[in-house]
Amino acid sequence: MRIIKLKKEHLRDFVGSLSAFGKLYAPQARGEKSFVLKELKDLSNLRLDYRRTILPPKKFFNRPDETILNFSSDNGYQAAADANGGRRVLFGLHACDIKGLEILDWVMRDGYRDEKYFQRRERTAVIGVSCEPDESCFCLAMQADNVETGYDLFLSDVNSCYLVTVRTSLGDDMVNANQELFQEVGKDTIEAFKKKTHAHARKLDDMCDLSVSQMPELIELEYMSDIWKDYAKRCLSCGSCTMVCPTCTCYDIRDEVELDQQRGTRKKRWDSCFFPDYAAVAGGENFRAEAYSRFRYRYLHKQDGFVAKYGRSSCVGCGRCIEICPAKIDLRDVIKSIEGVT
Amino acid sequence: MAKPRIGIYGLTGCAGDQLAILNCEDELLDIVNAVDLRSFSMASSSNPEGEIDVAFVEGAVCQQRDLDELKEIRSRSKLLIAIGTCAVWGGVAAARNDIDREKLKEKVYGPSGSFLESLPVKPLGEHVKVDLAISGCPIEKEELINSVASLLRGDLPLLVSFPVCTSCKMHEYECLLVKRGQLCLGPITRAGCEARCPGLNRVCRGCRGPVDEPNAASEVALLKERGFDRRDIINALATFAAPAEKLAEQIVGKEPACQSAQDASQAEKE
Repeated sequence: MRIIKLKKEHLRDFVGSLSAFGKLYAPQARGEKSFVLKELKDLSNLRLDYRRTILPPKKFFNRPDETILNFSSDNGYQAAADANGGRRVLFGLHACDIKGLEILDWVMRDGYRDEKYFQRRERTAVIGVSCEPDESCFCLAMQADNVETGYDLFLSDVNSCYLVTVRTSLGDDMVNANQELFQEVGKDTIEAFKKKTHAHARKLDDMCDLSVSQMPELIELEYMSDIWKDYAKRCLSCGSCTMVCPTCTCYDIRDEVELDQQRGTRKKRWDSCFFPDYAAVAGGENFRAEAYSRFRYRYLHKQDGFVAKYGRSSCVGCGRCIEICPAKIDLRDVIKSIEGVT
Repeated sequence: MAKPRIGIYGLTGCAGDQLAILNCEDELLDIVNAVDLRSFSMASSSNPEGEIDVAFVEGAVCQQRDLDELKEIRSRSKLLIAIGTCAVWGGVAAARNDIDREKLKEKVYGPSGSFLESLPVKPLGEHVKVDLAISGCPIEKEELINSVASLLRGDLPLLVSFPVCTSCKMHEYECLLVKRGQLCLGPITRAGCEARCPGLNRVCRGCRGPVDEPNAASEVALLKERGFDRRDIINALATFAAPAEKLAEQIVGKEPACQSAQDASQAEKE
């Protein structure tokens, strides 16, 4: 590890230089009040003041809807060319999203390793940036407020400069290609960094009164609780929370055959455990036919089953599901209801 | 194998779904080559009719002659496919089913309208067995072609059943409901449109009809909480999908959808 200093006046020059390492993606405004990670074609569009993007960075590795193979009666099955397989640099990811990618890696590695996912991951550089939390953030409770791995560079905002943590040799190359922009870290900056870090931690702590340490047990104990039914009355099953979740991985596969019946494509599209047909099987049975059982399942999976398998919840506290829910269902309220602390 | 005999028909509606079929310009010859087209009055004046394997029917049943034609088509078709929101849900024409037909005729056409023959507007499935529903106002070209391709090999197609919100998120469109406080029906409306309207900064008006299990009560509650007038909410719900009118009734009590806002706010107070 190596830590150096980048003055804010040099940020644009540095970001601009990163396109030498792959197609550059960064947070930019969308609509009136939203942000997205998209290709940065104009440096003046970079918005490091963003709180969260509509979709998390999982979209770069698991595309929302894509063709995975083509088939024909002449050539059999052929893997589809990967339009997303080139070198990329994701600039400006927050710690929670970097943790989200790490969790996604565990899932994609287990069982059947998803090669396309890892090809894309391996060709993508990740550059993190420290954040300012808002009222929907609860990363502290989900141990995703800080990341030690999963990035090539991490920029921590220290007033007039960034402290740049170099984590990988690729990150080192990015810095070395721009030596003149960086400086050694002085004593003042170290003190300012400490202050800022403490203030950030205090702020997160003040905002977040959530504890999930007993969640697996409590969810099991409250499996039959009416709490699930109460929330499900409000839940629209619209799927938004699962689409925007950094660690939701469910997808559906379908074949589409051309009119000539000789050629077709196999397509993969994000799915959601909230949809009525999610657990429907041949013969018309449905393991989770009722809305409340689907609502409950999301918590069972993320806060219980996932913990049993990987030792932690798959939630990173990014707040996307809270911000986007049309029915204003707040995951923190659900957890508190289960804990009996509301 | 003999080519499947196909018929394309229109009851009362704007004929937009038949037009959507004609608009499949790149695929039209492939479709015509793959089937034995027995009837398509918008495209041809020579329609031999007779027994058919698959009938595509657009439009809603609004008058006795629609009903007679529908039953006649059903009687000689192996499969009947409702195409378009009018055929599947009743559509715009069904938005005023809550008003007595006689009063409605007088309101629209004056005293001279009384001779007109008019039935409460119903989707096809209320009168005959429908084997497949392809919703949309109009239907999406991709869903139509995918359906024809599936039917040609003896399958029913896999059509989108998730809500517009899901598509909207996949495209990363800004949420018009949550972020801009607009009256959007995306949470309970069936997608398949790739969230075209929100992508153009226009709310979802529900033109493809509801999802399989719409939580209309929650949709109404969240819109009311955001300050929308109950009349506007009911009107929005009833615009394209007749069942939504029933749902709205259950939620906010039976009231004529087109009553004045004043009446509505009075009723609210009561």
